[in-house]
Amino acid sequence: MTEYGGEVFDLGYQHYDGPREGRMRARKAIWVNGMRTALGLGQGARAKILPGILFGIVILVAVIMSLIAAAPDSGEELPTHADYYRFISIVLLIFSAIIAPELLCPDRREGVIYLYLVRPLTITDYVGGRWLAFFTVSMALICTGQLILFIGFTLGADESLTYLKDNWLDVPRFLSAGLVIAIFTTTLPLVVSAFTTRKAYAAAFVIGLFFITAIIAGIVTECDQDELPSRGSPSYERALEECEPQTGEWGKWFGLVSIGEVPGHVSDIIMDDENESPVARQVRKLPTIIPILWYLTMTIGSGYILWRRYRRLTV
Amino acid sequence: MQIALSQIGMGNPHESIHRMIPLLEAKGLAKHYGTTIALESVDFQVHEGITGLLGHNGAGKSTAIKLFLGILTPTSGSAEVMGKKACESVDVRAHLGYMPEHDCLPSNPTASEFLTHMAQVSGLPPVFARTRAADILRHVGLAEERYRSLGSFSTGMKQRVKLAQALVHDPTLVLLDEATSGLDPGGREEMLDLIRRTGKEFGISILLSSHLMGDIERTCDRIIVLDGGHISEAGSVSRFTRETQNIIVEVDNNLDELMKIMIREGINATVEGPLVIVELDSEDQYDTIRDAVVEADATLRRLAPRRHGLADIFRGGQS
Repeated sequence: MTEYGGEVFDLGYQHYDGPREGRMRARKAIWVNGMRTALGLGQGARAKILPGILFGIVILVAVIMSLIAAAPDSGEELPTHADYYRFISIVLLIFSAIIAPELLCPDRREGVIYLYLVRPLTITDYVGGRWLAFFTVSMALICTGQLILFIGFTLGADESLTYLKDNWLDVPRFLSAGLVIAIFTTTLPLVVSAFTTRKAYAAAFVIGLFFITAIIAGIVTECDQDELPSRGSPSYERALEECEPQTGEWGKWFGLVSIGEVPGHVSDIIMDDENESPVARQVRKLPTIIPILWYLTMTIGSGYILWRRYRRLTV
Repeated sequence: MQIALSQIGMGNPHESIHRMIPLLEAKGLAKHYGTTIALESVDFQVHEGITGLLGHNGAGKSTAIKLFLGILTPTSGSAEVMGKKACESVDVRAHLGYMPEHDCLPSNPTASEFLTHMAQVSGLPPVFARTRAADILRHVGLAEERYRSLGSFSTGMKQRVKLAQALVHDPTLVLLDEATSGLDPGGREEMLDLIRRTGKEFGISILLSSHLMGDIERTCDRIIVLDGGHISEAGSVSRFTRETQNIIVEVDNNLDELMKIMIREGINATVEGPLVIVELDSEDQYDTIRDAVVEADATLRRLAPRRHGLADIFRGGQS
């Protein structure tokens, strides 16, 4: 029988002589780590519940809408890609409000940010990496549902190839609209998170901001019910479209108050769709450029505040 | 026995850099916070080896470290790292390690995950980062605990992880800010030993900031003393701890009897706690002291020249 002998050597400390990829690797590490945090990867089961539920809802809604579209003609109006955004936007807003603070608050509360700042990484790299991480997750979420929906619509159509030929332009449209929504739902919760180290405070503030502004906008843009014909009458829809809110001429401007609906106005423009909510009806009365400018102001302004906030961070 | 290249001073790709130019150089460096002066026009250099940055709380030690890390911008003057201005060069930080005084560890990840991530943030590719993380955890004595979440670590273990994250990318120089802060005597001794090994065996230069003179005295080769934002002393530790003209006599018993005999024999001796301090007039007095100990029937524990301590710097003992 052969006897195997061996000896273990302690080589002591070995210097690293492999590649050093500098700032690009550092940025990538922040980005990947941010995505893992957002999805709860490398953490306990509890951290995976919310992202899991959200992806489940996104896929489920897309599948259900595809099935409705594929069902024999029931005389009802078929769902569209714009309808899908309306369904999932509320879920996406809640997800953003809860998950986005995870990417910034713990780093400041636990002091890890100080370890990042002494590495080959600027504060712009750090904030940009975290922003991009959450944007990537949001975009993946949005696009997954829309692609499932598009595939569902195509397969459910009487003639799939004809549907594809006639509607292929929907793909760049819903991707552009998704981009608009993802940029907004990434930037706003992150800027709020930059002002507190408590995740719960940031989440509560963002959700509160969305809901309270939506309620205020709903009230101030509501039509005078006395001036409307009875619901169900042929002229009801037209009267609703043309009605003047109780706040008068300013009503259409007050529609912009609802922060959660700001990206929706722009995505409706991109998708060439008309949302029937009272707020959207009023905003539509404004020149098209106004909701776009408002959206740009909010996102670019929030992004700048986020960057400035971190620039002032000193150890 | 096999000797690693690092143990004979080879294998460090940055060695040629810091042979030619100082690792750190302060040139007229000043930092003011409004009317508060943290550092006022200081000039010093840090070369290879272990250098101590000693000073009371608020002396400007942490400010100096942050200026070299490029986190703060100087009010005037410059803080240079390996010949590059710290606040203008981000890439030079890939060759620096930093261990802050305060808590800076996340609670969720395991030690291995955290160090791997930190190595990548320092620019190492993922595969190499994992290997380095495992190696460094072994060197700081945490190999067994590498898959435990950091939240479950004791204070001493957290200090080791903090040191490990500063070393994981194999820096040329590591800046340690109050590295023994919050540790019990045993943990403090272990940490100082680890720092000594990092400097001597690993060949990584160290700037150790501390207000504890014992830590600096036992660990460092050179010392820079900051006081109120100014440098009050700088030089090798051995210069500050040179022998004095006094000798220490330590006995286990009959101390009073010994003192009486010494005074009778004309020896200039004083009692300091359990020690007798003799001011030596000539070499012959060694024999007189020996005879006095025998006559007093005391058990001699120590008879040695007295050295200055770093504490004397603050008491003006060196001036």
